[in-house]
Amino acid sequence: MLTMNKISKSFITDDVATHALRDIQLHVNEGDFVSVTGPSGSGKTTFLNIAGLLETSTSGEYLLDGEDIAKLNDSGRSRMRNQKIGFIFQSFNLIPDLNLFDNVDVPLRYRGLNTAERRKRIEHHLDQVGLASRMKHLPSQLSGGQQQRVAIARALATSPRFLLADEPTGNLDSQMAQSVMSLLEDINKAGTTILMVTHDPSLAARATRQIYIKDGHVSELTNKNSNLHVVGEA
Amino acid sequence: MLELLARLELGLIFRALMRNKIGALLIALQIALTLTIMVNAIFMMQERSQQMARPSGLDETNTFYLSNTIFAQNYNTQTALQQDLQRIRQTPGVVAVTQINAIPLSGGGWSMGLQTKPGDDLEGTGTAVYMVDEHGIEALGVELIAGENFQSSDIVWREVGSTKWPPKTIITKALAEAMFEGDWKKALGKTVYIDNHQPVQITGIINGLQAPWNGWNGVERSMLVPQQLDGKGSRYFIRTEAGRRDELMPVIEKMLADSDRGRIIRNVTSMQQTRDESYQEHQATNTILLTVIIVLTLITGFGIVGLAMFSINRRTRQIGTRRALGASQWQVMRYFMLENLLISFAGVILGAAGAVGLNIWLVATFSMSPLSPVLLVIGVVALLIVGQLAVSYPALVASKISPATATRGRA
Amino acid sequence: MFSYYLKLAYLSCKRTWGMTLLMVCAIGLGIGASMTTITVNYLMSANPIPQKSEQLFFVQMDSWEPNNPYSDDGDAPEQVTYRDGTYLWQAQKAKRQSIQTGMSAVIEPADKEVLPFMVQGRANSADFFPMFDVPFLYGSGWDHQADLKKERVIVINAELNERLFGGKDSTGQTVRMAGEDYKVTGVIDRWNPKPKFYDISTGAFNAVEEVFVPFSLITEQKFSRSGNTNCWKPSESGFQAFLDSECIWLQLWVELPTEQDKQDYLSFMNAYAKEQHQYGRFARTDNNKLRDVMQWLENQQVVSDDASMMMAMSLMFLLVCLLNTVGLLLAKFLGKASEIGVRQALGASRNDLFIQHLIESGCIGLAGGLLGLVLAILGLEAIKVMYGDWIRDLAQLDLSLVAMAIGLAIVSALLAGLYPTWRACQVQPSVQLKSQ
Repeated sequence: MLTMNKISKSFITDDVATHALRDIQLHVNEGDFVSVTGPSGSGKTTFLNIAGLLETSTSGEYLLDGEDIAKLNDSGRSRMRNQKIGFIFQSFNLIPDLNLFDNVDVPLRYRGLNTAERRKRIEHHLDQVGLASRMKHLPSQLSGGQQQRVAIARALATSPRFLLADEPTGNLDSQMAQSVMSLLEDINKAGTTILMVTHDPSLAARATRQIYIKDGHVSELTNKNSNLHVVGEA
Repeated sequence: MLELLARLELGLIFRALMRNKIGALLIALQIALTLTIMVNAIFMMQERSQQMARPSGLDETNTFYLSNTIFAQNYNTQTALQQDLQRIRQTPGVVAVTQINAIPLSGGGWSMGLQTKPGDDLEGTGTAVYMVDEHGIEALGVELIAGENFQSSDIVWREVGSTKWPPKTIITKALAEAMFEGDWKKALGKTVYIDNHQPVQITGIINGLQAPWNGWNGVERSMLVPQQLDGKGSRYFIRTEAGRRDELMPVIEKMLADSDRGRIIRNVTSMQQTRDESYQEHQATNTILLTVIIVLTLITGFGIVGLAMFSINRRTRQIGTRRALGASQWQVMRYFMLENLLISFAGVILGAAGAVGLNIWLVATFSMSPLSPVLLVIGVVALLIVGQLAVSYPALVASKISPATATRGRA
Repeated sequence: MFSYYLKLAYLSCKRTWGMTLLMVCAIGLGIGASMTTITVNYLMSANPIPQKSEQLFFVQMDSWEPNNPYSDDGDAPEQVTYRDGTYLWQAQKAKRQSIQTGMSAVIEPADKEVLPFMVQGRANSADFFPMFDVPFLYGSGWDHQADLKKERVIVINAELNERLFGGKDSTGQTVRMAGEDYKVTGVIDRWNPKPKFYDISTGAFNAVEEVFVPFSLITEQKFSRSGNTNCWKPSESGFQAFLDSECIWLQLWVELPTEQDKQDYLSFMNAYAKEQHQYGRFARTDNNKLRDVMQWLENQQVVSDDASMMMAMSLMFLLVCLLNTVGLLLAKFLGKASEIGVRQALGASRNDLFIQHLIESGCIGLAGGLLGLVLAILGLEAIKVMYGDWIRDLAQLDLSLVAMAIGLAIVSALLAGLYPTWRACQVQPSVQLKSQ
């Protein structure tokens, strides 16, 4: 599903190079639920951004669903994001001007689907997260947990094979966090591969695989399933 | 001094501006262009206003004129003219009347060149010519400052197509000064030459009387000659007692029209109206320029407000943090006021250069005169004030941001 | 997708309505002011007779004072003397030639109840009508013979025909003018060239005359001449002396279809000047000019200084308005950075975002353009009120000007939107998604 080979990322600001990631080796299989933990500033977010094609790596090879990302231009990467990846963010990132229907509609528009198909998908996915009745509401009229469920519906609307979640429960109270987490587990069981960054060990433990990032290096913590191994280069 | 600068955080403001160069540059450019346009527009308005303010020398409020066009055949024009003038003069409320060949400021008239020596190849001084009788000075309401008026015996008939000039003339002070090295007193009694060779003696000098063409650079140069035109078209120039002009205009028109069916009385016009029409374009241009200045300033002002509001919105958190760390409301406000002042300074310096540049172009292309530096300074100060006024509202909004914003995140 | 972007533009403008309103007003005012001045300039510099302006030439003969050129730049005078004008006219060396001057006279209507009235007219030779493509409602002009024989014939305009003959075909009827009867040969249809190119000596935008009579009648001294008369050399009294004098007061136009015709005619003029030089006239024998309609109007600067100055000012004004819009758009688009980041994460390419924001700029431009159009119409009305009658036909929007206004607005707004849009597309999604 996802293979990273010697991926590195460094930023150069004011002539000082900062290495955010160093020679990451990682393979994720279809159907995995991978949690990513690590201290602040360890490179978790950079890792997720590269995985989600929001940033490009400085060096190394990244294959997503068999395609070499380095060979894609901006619109190729946009197409990949649109068709294969779904995003869930800590601060939900719903577009405040758009109502729930239109928010879920955003990725479908870029997908170029016809009106009937879009409507069907939007209604289906909002229904799935229990918010079909509030389709015409603006995000500001919802609670945090509800907003995050809309964000999940939006991420799933394009039927991605791969879901990236960046601290999806970070802005939620524990009860809501639990409900969002079980939603993610259901999604994973239905076949979607998930990569989730979190700082909450108890949530991380619920994933099928756990990886740990520190100082730009990746290591696999336990290996519940015999699925596959990650080699963090020390 | 350095301490003061440090206290005002100028360095800090400057560094912050450098991080948002484009936004600051856009405002500075706007201010620069506004100054450029504003200063030149005001200057053009001033030039026109000065032209319009020049006195014509006439009693404009109490004078009017009309045209008399004869179409009947076998008509004794000389007798009819004397009768008309007599009738008008006897009308109660009329102070004086004269026949005249042209109307000041009207745009149409006669001009000749006067020379101090006779000869074909000499360059004469151009002057407007008004042919009047002995009532001319009183009817026009001009002031005789030296010499004497024409006598009735001086007045001669001028046939159509004649090129003969009478031996006497009364000229304006400006014409006298132009011909006699700036000393008009020297002109009285002198003989000058019209049409290259014909001698004319200056027997009187009037304070001022403008030529028919307001855009001519010799507009103050006029001469009166004692002639009555013998022809089928003539103009009568009439002065009334104060305040009776409007009442007498239709009365005299009707009286003349009824007295004789062999002619048309037309074009009955007051001098006031002639002046308004003469300067109509100037007046209109000034109104437009004024509108441009006002609208331009408003646009620039609102632009500053809009951009400042936006930048403050984006910096809410940062401002809240500063407040939490002890900045007073006034210090926050001052920050934005000073920021605007810095940008405006850059703008007005650029704008001052632009204003001078545009003026140089206008001088070259439209023969305008060069800009006065005082105006430039006034423009600079005015725009700095506009900038400060415009930014004061957003700055006030910024100063009201609660220190709690820092901990609670965006409101 | 286009309608989707329109919807997004609408929502975005609605949210920041204050800024949007400011931008629309700024563009509207800039466009309004520019279109007002552009219209006046465009109509002032219009070609009044496009179908043959390049074949009609204004004749300038330098018969002026030997020691003082007529104008500071040494150009030949703007009119010709009676001697030179009638000589060139009678020579008939051009395909057509029209010699002319302004005149005025009193008309006495047949109906004695109606008061006599004054008309402004033109004394011109027969070629005037075919040369300038004058449209006739009834009849036609007169022929060359009528000029030579000083026939009392007259062409009147439609308004006068309405007044005297109730608008009926009046050819063959007589008009009593200046104490004589004139036979009507034709009635001119509405014709109002702007500029009034064939005689701009007393104003380039005056109305067309009400009557036209044969030029040769001017020597009968029945009606008064109007227009400018300039003299440099003293002459004797009397009308014959005036005709023989060096005073310039006539305009002469010639029609020369080809470049060769023009060269030939110029040689003819110069040869005449050389011949006159031998009699002590024409101190400068080779300073004679033939200018076609547009060259002549250009040379006479019929576009007033005020008009061009105003246009320069209003274009600078538009520039300020656009800078304003660039600033506000930049602020607005950067304010949407987080939305842009989200859209990128959800699959929008930079192209998609570029189009989305360009459409938003375009909409603001369109709204500004429409506002500008309304303001231009109001501006032109204001100009008519302020400047008076002569400008009426110069303050008229036509279809091409309307299209130009809207085009100018959209192009301006797109130009203004280009940089902010580019900046918006440079947003790094990863930075935006984590912020707050």
